[in-house]
Amino acid sequence: MYDFEYHRPANVEDALKLIGERGEAKLLAGGMSLLPSLKMRLARYSDLVDLGGIAELNGIRRDGNALVIGAMTPHAVVAASPEVNSTIPALASLANGIGDPLVRNRGTIGGSIANSDPAADYPAGVVGLGATIITNQREIEADEFFLGLFDTALAPREIITAVRFPIPRKAVYLKLRQQASRFAVVGVFVARMGNGARVAVTGAGPSVFRVKDAEAALARKFDASVVKGLQIKQDNLSSDIHASAEYRAHCTSVMIGRAVTAVS
Amino acid sequence: MSDSAISTRIGEPVRRKEDLHFLTGKGVFSDDVSLPRQAYAVIARSPHAHARIRGIKTAATLAVPGVVMVLSGDDLRADGLKPIAHMPTSTHHAETALVNSDGSEIFTAPRYALAIDKVRNVGEAVAMIIADSVAAAKDGAEALEVDYEILPSVTATVAAAEPDAPRVWDEARSNVCMDAQVGDPEATETAFASAAHVVKLETWAQRVTGVTMEPRAAVCEFDAATQRYTLYTASGGAVRLKEDVAHVLGIASKAVRVVMEDMGGNFGTRGEVYPEFILVAWAARRAGRPVKWTCERSEAFVSDYQGRDLAVTAELALDAQGNFLAMRGSNIGNAGSHTVSFAPLKKGLGIMSSIYRVPAAHFRARSVVSNTMSTRPYRSAGRPEVIYVMERLIDLAARKGNFDRAEIRRRNLLSEAELPYTNQFHMTYDNGAYHKVMEEALTLANWQGFERRRIDARKRGKRRGIGVANYVDTSTGAPRERAEIIVHPEGKIDVVIGVTENGQGHETSFAQLITEWLGVPADDVRLIDGDTDIVKVGGGAHGGRGMRMASLVIWNASKQIIEKGTRIAARMLECDPSSIRFDSARFIVEGTQRTVGLFEVAAAAGQLKDLPDDLHGSLSACSEEIHHVASFPYGTHVCEVEVDPELGIVDIVGYTAVDDVGRAINPLLIHGQVHGGIAQGAGQALLEQCHYESETGQLLSGSLMDYALPRADNFPFFKTGISEVPSTTHPLGIRPAGESGTTPALGVVVNAVVDAVAEFGVRHIEMPMTPERVWRAINGKQPPSSVSTSR
Repeated sequence: MYDFEYHRPANVEDALKLIGERGEAKLLAGGMSLLPSLKMRLARYSDLVDLGGIAELNGIRRDGNALVIGAMTPHAVVAASPEVNSTIPALASLANGIGDPLVRNRGTIGGSIANSDPAADYPAGVVGLGATIITNQREIEADEFFLGLFDTALAPREIITAVRFPIPRKAVYLKLRQQASRFAVVGVFVARMGNGARVAVTGAGPSVFRVKDAEAALARKFDASVVKGLQIKQDNLSSDIHASAEYRAHCTSVMIGRAVTAVS
Repeated sequence: MSDSAISTRIGEPVRRKEDLHFLTGKGVFSDDVSLPRQAYAVIARSPHAHARIRGIKTAATLAVPGVVMVLSGDDLRADGLKPIAHMPTSTHHAETALVNSDGSEIFTAPRYALAIDKVRNVGEAVAMIIADSVAAAKDGAEALEVDYEILPSVTATVAAAEPDAPRVWDEARSNVCMDAQVGDPEATETAFASAAHVVKLETWAQRVTGVTMEPRAAVCEFDAATQRYTLYTASGGAVRLKEDVAHVLGIASKAVRVVMEDMGGNFGTRGEVYPEFILVAWAARRAGRPVKWTCERSEAFVSDYQGRDLAVTAELALDAQGNFLAMRGSNIGNAGSHTVSFAPLKKGLGIMSSIYRVPAAHFRARSVVSNTMSTRPYRSAGRPEVIYVMERLIDLAARKGNFDRAEIRRRNLLSEAELPYTNQFHMTYDNGAYHKVMEEALTLANWQGFERRRIDARKRGKRRGIGVANYVDTSTGAPRERAEIIVHPEGKIDVVIGVTENGQGHETSFAQLITEWLGVPADDVRLIDGDTDIVKVGGGAHGGRGMRMASLVIWNASKQIIEKGTRIAARMLECDPSSIRFDSARFIVEGTQRTVGLFEVAAAAGQLKDLPDDLHGSLSACSEEIHHVASFPYGTHVCEVEVDPELGIVDIVGYTAVDDVGRAINPLLIHGQVHGGIAQGAGQALLEQCHYESETGQLLSGSLMDYALPRADNFPFFKTGISEVPSTTHPLGIRPAGESGTTPALGVVVNAVVDAVAEFGVRHIEMPMTPERVWRAINGKQPPSSVSTSR
């Protein structure tokens, strides 16, 4: 790990000021991706601005027909939250399946989506539920947020403060785990909303994506039969030592069917 | 006799004495040792699989604040350090020595602690940077300028054996450094010509690595006054390590002291000297202060010895009734960049036919060098690979000839009357109840009731399969061992021995021998095994030699303690020694109530004035033995799996093992050994692989994010049974248990998975049986064009 200056501001304004002043400053949320890359000397920053001391970024609350989760809320808190479990149990179960207990106690929703790891779980939930990402500057729709591999719509001095999830009628998240890291080789989030269905996939490609063919079919009739044999294009999917694009495409199709059955 | 003495005798499931020490954080692992004024070393490693080193510029490194010194291959040559004395061709008396069939000499590659002129695998040590802190040393390593001329490389086993493959060593005629043949080609051809059925398997027992929980570390200090080096580290054997370090440094072995305390895993991949152990010693002298090096996990993936990697083409011939007639084929073992060991290739070849009656056989065995990390024995060197091949061939034959899988094994399994039996590869098995153990395992696994479970799984959308595998294991290893027993008047016994504790539980199991023979509770026995100033002789822990060798020398030394003690007791009790018997730590005059305790006798040995010289002083005894005989553990494992046929995911839902250990010293520890062994074997079958990219030779599985290690939730609860048929080749009947779990696990897991998906026309699936591989097999799809999965 290279040397860096460490800061722990108490509010968002101070955090913004710090990253504005410092040349190579980086925001630190739970640190579950950033710290390993620092330790392996794969990344180097002059300053780390730890958001862990900002109370306003933490917490879960109900807001009408939506659930608002503060950006610095750890996965374990989401997983155990009665509010989340009673409104969007699929999101609680998604959070409960991230990494291991240590990761779940440190890792945060804001950190996860800001990082936009291709195999992270939260992006599937955020896109699958059509959530809204709230920042210090604006509100960003989930569909506009994830741009690609480790790439998001966030501007350089923009901090996620919370994520607002509409409450679905029913939803489920299914994950086929990579056997070493246990990240998603394919993670499928299917939500049955008041006005149709949303299907989001993580792990299979460079970034989370929606399967609009499936959504359209399910809007007509919400039943596993309408997505049976669904063809997923391999062109934009990932191939690595763990799974080929062909296998990822196949698993995506099968898992969408299983997810639909689970929420039917 | 105290109650606790009874409870820690041979055969009792005594809980590990050492666990309290570990569980309360009192373990002393290599990195826990730090010395005053120590400097820290970081190794600059090759980023290329094969390259010529045109030059190394150190100025920028030396300019980094805190950097003390940089050492490279040129410095090593200037100081006259010798190549490491790996002994790849060393052969145990009971094993078949392999020689080149054309009579030429076997090529062995010189290995220096730092690369000289060329690097031959990603991760090979190129330079050592010594600094006041690890961070400064890392900064220095980054600043090092090495000018590489990249050369073509080869990593895959079969490809490396091709005549036009990139040459790893210009000094060798080709990458094939050994090319041997065993068996009778004519008899084999004749048998194949008359066969009713012939099955063939082309396969690869892929490259894996040990992933010990504790990464390697070493710290060494050099004392200028005595000209001695003290090296604190952990390895498979302290005495051998001392000699290896002394050899490279060109000094007498008594100038090196190795001190090893606790070790977090060995499995063979940590069983031999490493360049870094020599480098810290050399650097400590050059720097005039202790030098410490600690390996990181990603560094371990490229620089720890790796295991397996055997490409096999094998055929089995049968008659119409299913009797085995002959087998033939070719094995190619991948030695990696340097020829550290040919033992896996040789030991596997020796038991190619397992414990089946195979009247004729002929095999070719080649070892190739390649641009990969060197391989050496990894838990049950060579045997899991060939048992896997044999058990797959049998299942293929059963399918082809429509034989029942259990029945065809019964038909060909050697009977007790046929033992001892010399196989076609010149190995002589001792004794055993092969049929009985197989039936016990089938019963324990409820083999008969399987079809109901298959139907039940199908109702849940799963495909259930079952597999069975028999195995034999060859346990040889360093033949020389020594034990010293010292009885202290305070009521404690020290056992000094050269068998190294790496996690096996020797502190408990060796102490149980003392309870059995000297009547002293295990808690009062201390094991000393890791300091070469105390332990002068001994072979370490490998090849299933621990209990097998330790029991011999502890037994002999215990007998001497009783004999000496009897003579002292006779003085104390004023009787003739012949009237004394020893029982439960007391010397008793027959027919009387006059007794004296072992520890009182030990006190008397130091106090009585008129004792003969051999009794005066401390009550102690020594035994040194050279035991050239092999031992043959055997057994049967049964595995049951469920496969998700849509996604190809495999779950092990049942695993049963019955292993013959000859005589169980501590059944609890044996079960533990078997459990861990199964996990390592099943891990290879389902999960693990060192993926080298064929174009570049880069290791793609360089961290635990990409190297899939089995975890507890990959397994059900195991059913493990112990068989005890005393071995006729061991005076105490003992057979090793440390490798039993692993040896049949590869084959039995693959057999179970193939059985589960046989209805889809699947004949075979290569390891690791990843979900994608299983899915492809079910759907008759070719492997993806992923280059790193080729053998």
